[in-house]
This record gives sequence, structure tokens and C-alpha cells, in this order.
Amino acid sequence: MRKILLGTTAVVGAALLAPSLAVAQEAPTVRIGGFFRVYYGYTQQSGRNSTVPYTTPTGTAPLSGNLPADGNGIARLSKHDFSTDGEVHVFVNGKTANGLTYGAVIEIAFNQQEGRNQVQARASTGKTTASTDEWYTFIASPRFGQLRFGDEDGPVGGLMNSGVVTNFGTGGIYGDRESFVTRQANTRTTTSPGALNDNTKIIYLSPQFFGFDFGASYAPNYNEGEDTGCSSNASSGWCDASYAFTGASTNGIAFAGPNQSVRRNEYQIAGRWRGSLAGIGLSTTVGWVGAGAARELTVQGTQARVFNNLGVFQVGAQATAYGFTLGAQYEHGDANFFWGNTLRGDRAMDQFFAGLSYTAGPFSIGANYVMGTFEGASRASFSAASADAAPGSSGLTTPNAAGAAMMRRLGYGIGGNYRIAPGMDIVAEWSKFTIAERGRDLDPQQLGIQDRTTANVFILGTRLAF
Amino acid sequence: MKPFLAALALALPLLAACGDSNQRMVNNDEYGDWRGGVARNRPRGADAGLVVFGVDKNREAREAAAAGTGLSVNAYLWRATLDTLSFMPLASADPFGGTIITDWYSPPGAGNERFRAQAYVLGRQLRSDGVRVQVFRQVLERGQWVDSPVSNATNSDMEDKVLARARELRSQSAAR
Repeated sequence: MRKILLGTTAVVGAALLAPSLAVAQEAPTVRIGGFFRVYYGYTQQSGRNSTVPYTTPTGTAPLSGNLPADGNGIARLSKHDFSTDGEVHVFVNGKTANGLTYGAVIEIAFNQQEGRNQVQARASTGKTTASTDEWYTFIASPRFGQLRFGDEDGPVGGLMNSGVVTNFGTGGIYGDRESFVTRQANTRTTTSPGALNDNTKIIYLSPQFFGFDFGASYAPNYNEGEDTGCSSNASSGWCDASYAFTGASTNGIAFAGPNQSVRRNEYQIAGRWRGSLAGIGLSTTVGWVGAGAARELTVQGTQARVFNNLGVFQVGAQATAYGFTLGAQYEHGDANFFWGNTLRGDRAMDQFFAGLSYTAGPFSIGANYVMGTFEGASRASFSAASADAAPGSSGLTTPNAAGAAMMRRLGYGIGGNYRIAPGMDIVAEWSKFTIAERGRDLDPQQLGIQDRTTANVFILGTRLAF
Repeated sequence: MKPFLAALALALPLLAACGDSNQRMVNNDEYGDWRGGVARNRPRGADAGLVVFGVDKNREAREAAAAGTGLSVNAYLWRATLDTLSFMPLASADPFGGTIITDWYSPPGAGNERFRAQAYVLGRQLRSDGVRVQVFRQVLERGQWVDSPVSNATNSDMEDKVLARARELRSQSAAR
């Protein structure tokens, strides 16, 4: 087997490097582009005034560091706000004499944190400091396709999706609404393809033949960027490469700030067909994202497999004619909301998305809709004592009555934009997102149980791409 | 599962290479650019932006497309005229005005006569009246070069040669 593998690799290597075409070599160019946008937003949101950090049994534990010192401070938030965001992109592109194109993309974002984080009474970290969004290097050959290596969305997570119609307004329900919604009750969408994360991965993208192209990617873990992620000189679950750590069972849903989750060994495979029939442009995609999960580690050293593997099947299709684009996408598999790993025994997710847009000259309008059912709060929680008592077991005990109900997430958005100049749009959009989970309190600060929470966002603003 | 994935990882690029004539490279702007569809919203897709280093080949191509071929006259006729008159020393060639003027030239073995040619490529189209050649002749009489008439056939013969050469160049580039 080893010999065969080595032999095949050599053939591939030789074929890739062989000068098959005589193409003029092009010295690399460095290009700068990007976007900038400013919006006014009007937000109506349940639990907007809550100062109790929202918790999920499989998600983040409450972080008290950002709360007022006495823990009892409360706040009232206005419905009106402005929001700015921008990215500067650097593109390096070159071409070798044998026809290989190569280069790198570095996208510099300025939303490193979603809010200013109070570290101590008189110390905070800014929210508009520069950070990287995607950055990767690529090499592409017309015959063998493209290899991307770096922090980038995967084939299923944004590169090759069909049916996700977001080409109007700021993107409808998958648009920029999250800039205006606070984290309480998590009335944020975050089950979009792009929310799968641009963790550091290697991606192969094939050439197109007979209308078909396909892609595959692999990422060892959920994190990105340069360092190991270890937050101190002691190893912990924050280290990118950790595969078992204490507290893993509360990391199924990605942490908001440090961009950390238990997802490990993530792979994505997608196939896409594009073509036209009778003047109607068609695109369909079938994809699969799979991943393992880090294990919980008790202080006694017992490793417990508390998570299901992530495994979601995705199918989408869209048709375009006479300025209309109609698309739909369906996803099913083992995952929680925010693309988190589910605890063992949790239910699978289903999500359906549909969208319609119309473009006429400088005008685009559209609407989209997403409906998903998820486990939400898990029905079990981890007990180190029971894991230590029975090594090899999941250590999951104590069925959580409030977590047994299904979480429903429903959203829709309608919006439009008008192109006033090449690259510059005026956008207007309204979207509504609702979460419901029977018996579970989604706004703990209010009396009683609020098992439904909603956020309405109206956006009016401008966006410039350059 | 792992051997399967490994095999898949090797097979995919090889499979991809089988397409041949129905195969093409997928451009970078054909992939989704999540969070804002930035590339799609750019005025010229992935080609937009400011080039801060290097030569912008795409811009050169765009400008060339806007300006035709860079020559303001038909490229085949221009090339063919240069080829045809290449046996004489060139005095001046202006691709924008479409004029080629040679210097005086005495054919070997005919030391007492000399020729000079002016050629005009007249337009962008490849057509038989798109080129005009005027040949001048002088003969040596008592140590003095004296103008001497050239038959009309000489001029039209030269034009025919240019046209034939242009046709040749055209068919060569079409075959490529």
C-alpha cells in the first residue's frame, strides 16, 4: 500500500509540476480592495435589557468578567444605533511560465471583538482593532484545480453552496443584522453556511468539467491564526490541538470571543453542478461536513466521549432567469445550533432555507426564510464522578428536563438595494428571527419562563465595495 | 474510513484531469465569498481594487480591448508589409499612421539603379484595398542619381505580395 501511495503521489507531483502549456510568465501583482459599510439600525429584541449572560448547557459558561463589579448592575438599551464595519483585502496574484496561477489573499477586518471587553475596572480591549478574516495562499492549475491553504471557508461552509439566496439588502436573514442584536437569548442566526467557520484548513477545488466541479477540505481543529491558542504557559482546552480537556462538555457551541469549540478533524466534501436549460441558469450542490469532537477529561485523567461526531448533509439548488433567482437548501444531521457538536443522546438538526431575489438594472430586492429544529439545550450534563466510576462511558447523567424540548429557530428577511455607483449601494432591510424552546427560560432576568424570544432588525445604510 | 479518504484525496485531482475539452478552470470569483458577497459587489469582481505592486495585466488587456490591438491599423497588413519590404533597409515605420518608408536600396548586380518604397496601411480592416505601395526608382547617369519612372505593375505587384503574405499570417493565427 505504501509503495502504491508513494508511486501515485509521484505521478500527481510530476503532472502538477510538468510544464504542460507555454504561457507567458506574469510577475506577481499586489492589489488592494475591500469594503466599507455604515448602517442605521432599529432593533426590537426580547431580553435586550438582560444583564444575565445567557447560558446553554452545551455552550458557554457565564463569564462574569464583563459584568459590573457588584454583579447587580442593569442597563437599558436604546433601539437606535449606527454601525460601521469594513475590511481591507490584499490580493497577491502571479502566474508561472507553465500556466500555474498562485497567490495569497489577506483580508484584514476591524471587528476583532463584538463589543468592548471590560477586563478590569479601568482596563478594556477595543472592539475595532484589526484582525484577520480569511487569509490563505493558493496555487491553481487549469488542469488539476486549485489548492487553498490557510484560514478560509470550506466547500460546504460558503465556497460552493447553492440555493442560499442572499444577493439583496445586506443578505436578509443571513445579513448584517447580527451587528445590532445583543447576545442575550442568542437571537442571532449563525446557522448560515459561512458560520461553519474559516478555521485553518487545506482545501482542494477541482476544475469544472461538463458543468461539474467539486471540493474537499480538512481542518484539524476549530481555531485559526498563528499561535497554539494556549492562553498561558500551561496546556488547556484553549490550545488549538487539545483533543481532551477538562470542561470540554460545555464547549459544544463555539465560544463567542476566543473562537473556540470542541470540533476536531473537520472535513467537508461538496459537489456542484452549474449549467443552463432553456435559458434558465441552474446550480445545485450536494455536500457533507463531518467532524469529531474533543473529549471531556476529568481531573482523575478519565477521558469521556461526551459528544456526537458532527455530521451534516446539505443539498441546495437555485435557478436564475429574467433577473429572478429562486433557491432552496436543506440540511440534516448531527449538529446543534451555531454548528456545535451535540451531546450524545441529543437529537439531530434539520434546517430548511428558501430565498427569492429579483434584480433589474441597479435595483435588487429579495426575501429569504430559514426554519430549523435543533436540540438547543441538551437533555443531559456531564458528571466527572460517573465518568471516573465507569471508564469508557460517556459520563453523561442527570437528564435536564428543561433541555428535552426541541429548539425551533425561525427567521425571515426582506430587503433591497440600489446601486448608486459602481460598487456603492444603498441598502434597506428588515428581518425577524425567533427562537422557541418549550419549558426553557430564554430570558432569566424576567420573572417566569420566557420560552420564546424574538429580534426584529431594520437596517438602512450604505455599502461600498472597492 | 481513513484509507477511503486518503484514496479520495489522491483520486480527486487525477479524476479532475480527465475532463479535457469540456474542462475549464473555475475562477476565484465563482466561489462564494461569505459575509457580504464582497467580490460580487465589487465593480469588476475579483479584478477590482488598486494595484500597488506589479503590472496589472488585466488592465492592460482591458485597455488593449478598448483600443483594438494597440496598432491603429490592421495588424496582419502591417506585419505583412514589413515582411515584404524587409529586403530593403527601413528608414521609418509608424504603426499609428500606418506608413513604412524604406531607404534607397540597390539590388546586387544592378549597381546603377536604386529603389525606395513607401507603403501605407490604410485601415483596421483586412481588405484588398487596405494597403498601397509606391515604389520609386533612380538610375545613375554620369555620376548623378536621376529619377526614373516605375511601371504601374510594379506597385500593384508589391501590393499583391503584401496581401498574399497577410493572408498567410491570418490563416496561421487562425490555426493556432
